[in-house]
Amino acid sequence: MKKYFMIAKITWEEMFTYRINFIMWRIRWILGLLMIYFLWLSVLPKNTVFFGYNQSLMLTYILGTSLISSIVTSSKTNAVGDEINQGNLSNFLIRPINYFKYWFARDVGDKSMNIIFCVFELTILFFILHPPVFIQTNFYFLFLMFVSILIALILFFFVNFLLGLIGFWSPEVWAPRFVFYIILNFFAGSLFPLDILPKQIFSIIQFSPFTYLLFFPLKIYLGQLNIIEIYKGLLISFAWTVFFYYALRYTWKIGLKGYTAQGK
Amino acid sequence: MLNSIIKYFKIWLKFTTIATQIAFTSRFGATVFIVAKILRIIFFLLLLIFLTSKVKVIAGYSLWQIALFYATFNLIDSLTQFFLREVYRFRSYVTMGYLDYILIKPFSALFRSLFGGSDLLDLPVIFLSVIFIFIVAQRIENLSLVGMLLYILLVLNALLIAASFHIFVLSIGVLTTEVDNTIMLYRDLTQMGRVPVEIYKETISWIITFIIPVGIMVSFPTKALMGLLSPSSVFISFLTGLIFILLSFKFWRFSLSRYSSASS
Repeated sequence: MKKYFMIAKITWEEMFTYRINFIMWRIRWILGLLMIYFLWLSVLPKNTVFFGYNQSLMLTYILGTSLISSIVTSSKTNAVGDEINQGNLSNFLIRPINYFKYWFARDVGDKSMNIIFCVFELTILFFILHPPVFIQTNFYFLFLMFVSILIALILFFFVNFLLGLIGFWSPEVWAPRFVFYIILNFFAGSLFPLDILPKQIFSIIQFSPFTYLLFFPLKIYLGQLNIIEIYKGLLISFAWTVFFYYALRYTWKIGLKGYTAQGK
Repeated sequence: MLNSIIKYFKIWLKFTTIATQIAFTSRFGATVFIVAKILRIIFFLLLLIFLTSKVKVIAGYSLWQIALFYATFNLIDSLTQFFLREVYRFRSYVTMGYLDYILIKPFSALFRSLFGGSDLLDLPVIFLSVIFIFIVAQRIENLSLVGMLLYILLVLNALLIAASFHIFVLSIGVLTTEVDNTIMLYRDLTQMGRVPVEIYKETISWIITFIIPVGIMVSFPTKALMGLLSPSSVFISFLTGLIFILLSFKFWRFSLSRYSSASS
């Protein structure tokens, strides 16, 4: 356990080493947030309701997804494909270290830093913009939201890792990831709440894993789901997590069999 | 002068051919990238259409006007990507000492660094954007010949400003070896122009129009086409383009004077 804690700590130090990179990345995050925030502010003036969302709920949703996104979708596992292609995986295979836990520890370091900076930046934006945000006071909803976020970040870890394993069969690891992020950006609900889409479309995509990464935790926070809907959602997201866990294990096993350490 | 233009056109053609051959070494990757780029446009457009079908007017603009802003953004963005893709590879040239090799060639190092690897994968998006602009423009009333002429000139001016930004990025790359995040920061800033700058708060709108001229690059051509741009704004646009390109040339020369060739 201690060695994985050290890996998370080193990830922190590594991010602070490249300070310009880090600052630029944070600025980029704020810009993205501002664009979508002002778009919705312009679409929804005060006292208007749009598909069950008033201005306060919508802006809470937009700011909330930004925060949850920085927890759930930030991941260092984007580098797994390159590690395989460059043969660097060999270094890990001969070390007394679990490759999956290694990357998860790196993710923990990455996510913890994201949380700290996002909270700090959102607080500043809160004082500058004075957004009319909704505060959830029901601790049960808050607890269930944290559970859903925990499942979401594990689910995302498995999916993202699985994408990296394409490196076992192809040097082209970025193109599929590029498509994945575009689909994720739209269907996870980072631009808008998914339930404003036409009912038929929403009823289909609510069974996809994307729905449970950002949209679902925020809906719990906003108190717009009843207990049955929440447990149903938790069950679906858990089922996806189990599915991707086994898919990852199976793919890893097959991939290792054909791994030739090419590039090393 | 003409000989020089022909010479540089031939050089560009040679570099573009080579870059295209490289891009298509993995046909799978190239296809996936093209599909992803088109998907990204379709998804954001769907969101805009969906919003305007419910709200009718965003920041005083109708659906077709909003669509024209977005189509113009895509045209400028994809043209910039198409011509100036080489900038994304510049960091490694500095850190690995390859810039020395570029500097001793008998043609402009700046030209090589900007146009040395045009990306053919952006062509489908350019074609789509042009077709889309034609379709949308037909739905907008009161278009004049002067407006259309101004639109073309202001799009060219936008490309000039985009080139200036890229020269600044190259220069920062020479001075600090930092390119990747700077260029992505530029892209995020321009993404704010996907929608009319009026949706942002006055201060932000002013900053992204006159300090970081995203508004001049993306919003002004569209407004000119719709006859909503004052003559003084047209003048400011061209003046900004001229000032930016001159400053960027000066900064490039300054950065080269500080180049230490440390990595070679």
